[in-house]
Amino acid sequence: MTSRDSKAAVAFLAPALILLGFFRLWPAARSLAESLRGWSGAEARAFVGLANYRYLFQEDPVFWSSVQVTLKYAVIASPITVAAALGLAFLLRGKGRRLSFLRTLCFLPSAVSLSVMAVVWGLMLDPYYGLANSILKRLGVPPQPFLSSTNQALACLILIAVWRNAGYWMMFFLAGMESIPKEVYEASALDGASSQQQAWRITIPLLARTMSFVLVANTTFNFVTFAPVFILTRGGPIGSTNLLMYEAYKSAFVYLDPGRAMAMSSLTLLGVLILSIVQLKLARARFEC
Amino acid sequence: MQSRKCGNTTQSRAIAGRIVRAIPREALLLAVAAIYLLPLWWVTASSLRPAGSLYQYAIPISWRTFFPDELTLANFANIFAKLDFGQAMSNTFLVSAITVALGLVVNSMAGFALAKFDFPCKRLVFVIILVTFIAPFDAIVIPLHQVVSDLGLINTRAALILPAVGNGLAIFLFKQFFEGIPSELLESARTDGASWWRVFWQIVMPISLPAIATAAVMMFLFQWNSLFWPLIAAFSSRFRMVQVAVATQIAADQTHWANLFASAVMGSLPPIILFLLLQKRYLKGIAGMKGE
Repeated sequence: MTSRDSKAAVAFLAPALILLGFFRLWPAARSLAESLRGWSGAEARAFVGLANYRYLFQEDPVFWSSVQVTLKYAVIASPITVAAALGLAFLLRGKGRRLSFLRTLCFLPSAVSLSVMAVVWGLMLDPYYGLANSILKRLGVPPQPFLSSTNQALACLILIAVWRNAGYWMMFFLAGMESIPKEVYEASALDGASSQQQAWRITIPLLARTMSFVLVANTTFNFVTFAPVFILTRGGPIGSTNLLMYEAYKSAFVYLDPGRAMAMSSLTLLGVLILSIVQLKLARARFEC
Repeated sequence: MQSRKCGNTTQSRAIAGRIVRAIPREALLLAVAAIYLLPLWWVTASSLRPAGSLYQYAIPISWRTFFPDELTLANFANIFAKLDFGQAMSNTFLVSAITVALGLVVNSMAGFALAKFDFPCKRLVFVIILVTFIAPFDAIVIPLHQVVSDLGLINTRAALILPAVGNGLAIFLFKQFFEGIPSELLESARTDGASWWRVFWQIVMPISLPAIATAAVMMFLFQWNSLFWPLIAAFSSRFRMVQVAVATQIAADQTHWANLFASAVMGSLPPIILFLLLQKRYLKGIAGMKGE
């Protein structure tokens, strides 16, 4: 039963709504408004309509290559992460100390910030003294340039993202597996289904919704990735890891071109908003809305 | 799966068969353990190694690469003494503590309104709150800089604290918890003449410690782990936050490995400790896991 005392409800809600409105919604609106203004150090920047967007789409090759890099990063990293997370969930579900230790171990990197994990992998992938090349050498593989190569840098960032996030999303799959009634498995076992058949015919189909949620949520995260680029590659070598968020950051704080930065950030926000609404629809049951 | 637990009654042949069938699974488990443990172990072990011998056993790989023959805390002492890492940590703790204190009040109140009241546009309000936490915070950071800059708060502690106080995830966690509190309990206090304000603070909050703990941890981790916003909102070294300290150090100090190892470890310790202590509650909070 809920109370209909609207006045009390508003009073309880007000502080949080004011804060969220001012520090989340208002910036989003500001971003749109500012993206319609030009470049100028002066106090009042002139209204230029869609000129910033027209410039981005028609005359800004750096923006386009950044979009491509971002799409490549998100489109490759997200499905691999989902597959790895699902694989881990199948492998590590069940009782026992050993499995529970491994579950905790796989989750640990996602409790820690992506920035620290980027530092860890920066050290791991150091061409001269990193552990990765030490292991490769032992296996007879010549040392790799990793982050300093245009061909490998983006792949390394993808690897870092998959490694860090797989354990996080694994927990969502384990939660989904928990919620499948045991009777379903018992009944199918009576019908002679092997555990492999159960995985393909019961668990995976019943996890379809969780999978699409995780895929969209992970894509949203990847879409706004900033830390590993800032820490490890600064967008390089030769723009090969220049993700959108980093380019927007440079536009605002290095090139001091707020119009371009706001246009880029508005486009990013639009993408994130769409992805978030899809997520909300997919996770309706969990959010009860 | 549980080949080791087979009783004596099982024929040895069957046992052998099971062991053979378990090998791929065991190999996979070992691979997963290695993939996750090696980087974490290597970084921790290296952070405890004397700075002078860091490169010595890095290549070729041997057991010494993972087990330093001499352990020292000198690298940690160094980042605190020479790199002001201590200031970054205490600053982050302070910023997080204030955020958590304010956030607990504001977000629990909003969660209460959503759980126990009916009001116009309730669904819309709830959806907006959900979107504010589903959409990653980093997406809003650049325009947020403008807004905070207009307030004249750039490069202050308030810039680090205020945007993080309203927290959609915390509101959601409180709402879910409060929905489990029977409304009759509140109604009876109301008929005794208590205001909603008193009902909330004297009846609801005292029995909501689990939700308070989870929300507090989430808000603390949000502050501890954030990089992008503190990087642009408070550039002065007085207000430097932990992740910024770690991130700017690798950029400026690529060659000083000992410091990097030590600061990576320090930067991850509080979240790891919190996670290990509150694992079940934490996972319930993020993934909706029921736990065992």
